[in-house]
Amino acid sequence: MIGASMLLWTIVVYMAMRKLYARFYFPLLVPIATSTVVIIITLSLFHLSYEQYMDGGKWLVHLLGPAVVALALPLYQHRHTLKQFLWPLLCSTFFGTIIGMGSGLLLARLFHLPEQVVRSIIPKSVTSPVAMDIAALIGGIPTLAAVYVMVAGIFGAMFGPTIFQRLRLTTALGIGSGLGAASHGIGTAKALEMGKKEAAISSVAMTLSAIFASLLCPLLLLL
Amino acid sequence: MGITIIQIGVLYTLYVVGSFIQQLLHIPIPGSMIGMLFLFLLLMSGIVKEEWISRGANMLLSHLTLLFIPATVGVMDYVELFSGKGIWSIFVVIVSTMIVMLFVGFIGQWAQTREQKRVREVKGA
Repeated sequence: MIGASMLLWTIVVYMAMRKLYARFYFPLLVPIATSTVVIIITLSLFHLSYEQYMDGGKWLVHLLGPAVVALALPLYQHRHTLKQFLWPLLCSTFFGTIIGMGSGLLLARLFHLPEQVVRSIIPKSVTSPVAMDIAALIGGIPTLAAVYVMVAGIFGAMFGPTIFQRLRLTTALGIGSGLGAASHGIGTAKALEMGKKEAAISSVAMTLSAIFASLLCPLLLLL
Repeated sequence: MGITIIQIGVLYTLYVVGSFIQQLLHIPIPGSMIGMLFLFLLLMSGIVKEEWISRGANMLLSHLTLLFIPATVGVMDYVELFSGKGIWSIFVVIVSTMIVMLFVGFIGQWAQTREQKRVREVKGA
């Protein structure tokens, strides 16, 4: 019963927040952020735990797998663009992954964060299942890593487009690869709002980042 | 509507296949991504036609944000991170995210403008 109402509530909140965003189009109002906040507030008002929420929420999570598979469609539709820019994409995401993990590590050390937190921050730019695996491998806390992945995702969806606009980063390749490499699936969902081509590039950047991060993480163990 | 649901079922099957391959071979890449690459290859080789999955795929993709909400709500168990000393870890994540976004974004932009210039020159000559 709680499960079904949680599922319904999530959909209702999402629909309402989408309407709100379409009406005001203000970065702080991106549906992923506002829906999350509204749901967390209602859960605490009714003294419901995350576990109870997931009774309903898990049905949406079940659809996330096939949704990622579905990204093959924009990938296929824009295969010519991707082929044309394969090398720049490979290079930028490879170094982007190194910079992402490296800057996270250095900054976290600079702020004297606890070692386990440092190691949970490192994989923040890659999609959560991969990030959680990496965190476990390098001595971080997987659930904490997932939280940082969400922060990276929401931040990218919230401010990415505005920052790009300010800095005149306007090409589909720039926007798509930046969002995918830094903010994984949530960034790709945002890229989809901006265009199918952006989304195709974003999903490639996100996939490549996940692959590179998994390959590079054994090296991080040496640090 | 029926067709859309059947097509989502096809995508789900591919996801299950991807997860199975992942567990079988112990690849450190999620099953969903293996499923995506698999579907991409099926589309490229013409074994699967675009129309067979396009309705279901577009349905899922247009509400991708909704599907991420349960995961982001998980932050509620870590609210203490957003106050006190924990806030620095959030700050670190945000700064590092911005660095990656701009680095990768500008290389992408540079590659695209260079390519467009090259195409224009070829056409001009």
